[in-house]
Amino acid sequence: MLICPNCKHQELSGALFCSHCGAQLGDMNLATHKIQTAEKKASGNNFRDAQTTHPASMQSWLSLHIIESGQIVPLVERTEFTLGRIAEGQPIVPDVDLSPYDAYANGVSRLHCAIKLIDGQVYIVDLGSSNGTYLNGTRLTPYTEMPVTDGDIIHLGKLKIQLLIAR
Amino acid sequence: MAHKKDYYAILGISRNASPEEIRQAYFDAARRLHPDKNVAPGETELFIEVQEAYETLANPKKRAKYDATLPPEQPVQIPIETRILYSRQNLLPLQESQLVYVLLELAPRPDVPPPPAPPLNLCLVIDHSTSMQGKNIEVVKDTAIQIMRRLRPEDYFSLVIFNDKAEVIIPSQSGADVKRMESRIHMIQCAGGTEIFSGLETGYKELLRYMRRSSATHLILLTDGRTYGDEEKCIELARKAAEQNITIRGLGIGADWNDVFLDEISSLTGGNSMYISRPEDIQRILMDEINRLSTVYAQETTLEFKIPADIELRYLFRIKPDPTLLSSTDSIKLGPVIQHASIQVLMEFVVHQARENQVLTLLEGKIGFTLPHPKTKNISLLLKLNRPVKNELDAEPPPAEIVNALSKLILYRLQEQARQEAQAGDFEHAAEHLQYLATHLLARGERELAKTALLEADHLRRQGDFSKVGIKEIKYGTRALLTAGERK
Repeated sequence: MLICPNCKHQELSGALFCSHCGAQLGDMNLATHKIQTAEKKASGNNFRDAQTTHPASMQSWLSLHIIESGQIVPLVERTEFTLGRIAEGQPIVPDVDLSPYDAYANGVSRLHCAIKLIDGQVYIVDLGSSNGTYLNGTRLTPYTEMPVTDGDIIHLGKLKIQLLIAR
Repeated sequence: MAHKKDYYAILGISRNASPEEIRQAYFDAARRLHPDKNVAPGETELFIEVQEAYETLANPKKRAKYDATLPPEQPVQIPIETRILYSRQNLLPLQESQLVYVLLELAPRPDVPPPPAPPLNLCLVIDHSTSMQGKNIEVVKDTAIQIMRRLRPEDYFSLVIFNDKAEVIIPSQSGADVKRMESRIHMIQCAGGTEIFSGLETGYKELLRYMRRSSATHLILLTDGRTYGDEEKCIELARKAAEQNITIRGLGIGADWNDVFLDEISSLTGGNSMYISRPEDIQRILMDEINRLSTVYAQETTLEFKIPADIELRYLFRIKPDPTLLSSTDSIKLGPVIQHASIQVLMEFVVHQARENQVLTLLEGKIGFTLPHPKTKNISLLLKLNRPVKNELDAEPPPAEIVNALSKLILYRLQEQARQEAQAGDFEHAAEHLQYLATHLLARGERELAKTALLEADHLRRQGDFSKVGIKEIKYGTRALLTAGERK
């Protein structure tokens, strides 16, 4: 038996989606669209929050603070993320899709940069993006890893993101 | 040349064909090639060959003798591939029930160039009851004329109209005089009620007149109303049509037609139902259908199967093309395979009991289909679905294709649940399901549909029923998500 983390409905083992509320079950953080962002919409809509909540064991080591909108997007479960945006009909899929934050208008490439955790140190690497990745105002050389620390601000094109790194 | 004629190839059957199949193939061929009917050069010789082949193969003794002289059979290259994906690598040894999903795909092999598509045998069955008056019937008439112009010389076409009774406007024929037929179409007037059975039956008979296994036989029913009292007869007729490998497609216009009923009769035959909200869309949707049906690759696609006692096939849904729920009887029509497109079916199995270290069979059966070109050839592929039972968790996540399909199918199923609950009078739960649906739709960026779902939930709470349009919008809208980005 499985219990849906969203609505507590009981499902048979092997179920992939809750038949009651439609939420995805189980941890399947390997594919792009399933990286959970625990962001809450600030607007006062009364829809139920359909996103599955995560068991406490999955600690997030990195959160993205989207400065423009003030949203905080915690990333979980992996030690490396690619950032970019999904374009319709394109096979390229980043781990974190920034399209909800006006990525296109801000000049974010489809595969823009990657953030990695190696031996407790976090690095950022630009993946040959068109408009460049800036770390605290300095443009990065593509494909070269640069260490980053908590509170650093990166620009993906014009999209400003503060890195919140958990200790 | 001492080259022996291959009687099996002449009749277009496989070497293990049953006497019944031989007889059927002979009749088909004889009807097609009979000297009374055909004047094409060389066909009389073909007819004689067919006679010869039948005389030999129909007699078991002669057949055995003939078989002994044949060289060993060359492995046939089957131009359709199947692909099977499972949602999990193994089952767990559990006393309680567990689920496993299977995605089955049939696709034309990309390395084999598609043969010319078979001719169509098409009947358009049009509702001309009073409610069709105005824009609806005018667009339908125009479209019917367009279709006639679009058809190839070898295609057969018939047009039937019905209200309380049916009338044949254009009897089944090929290479019709379009000009003359146009004026007949223009004269169609609207009056009376809607009795679908009479229309269906008349259309069915028109199709039977030039029934050939080598053509793609389809009936398209266009209606905007409900039929009363003859539903059972329609379903019976749909079963008969399915046996004859005629597919029925139901197109419902506006708010008042019965989508559950049209779904039932169409999915029995491997077809589907479609919802047309505005008369402007009639032409586009119908022409799209005709174009697709003109490029059939394989047809008479049938899935026959058996399921072991402690396994349950709880849900069977064709995802592509034409998403529709399939009734899980033991012989299912899957609809034609269109060139360059695949059929995908998603199955949900409930395994009630699984013991360790066995390989559990979920389903055993075969997929049969025929290739209409160059000769009708029956092909069956054996299908066996099974999973090992092991006491270890899956290392692999479920295939993305299954997760993706299910993430959309769940939306359709939420809608389905809401309808079932509303029918049982449980409006509170039905409305709740619609709200969950709205949340997911919003997350996907489907604002319009999400809004409709919320309005419908509200409508349900206040009035204890769905609005006629809203629920159709939601049903066909969530279905369309399954193929979004596929067509065109």
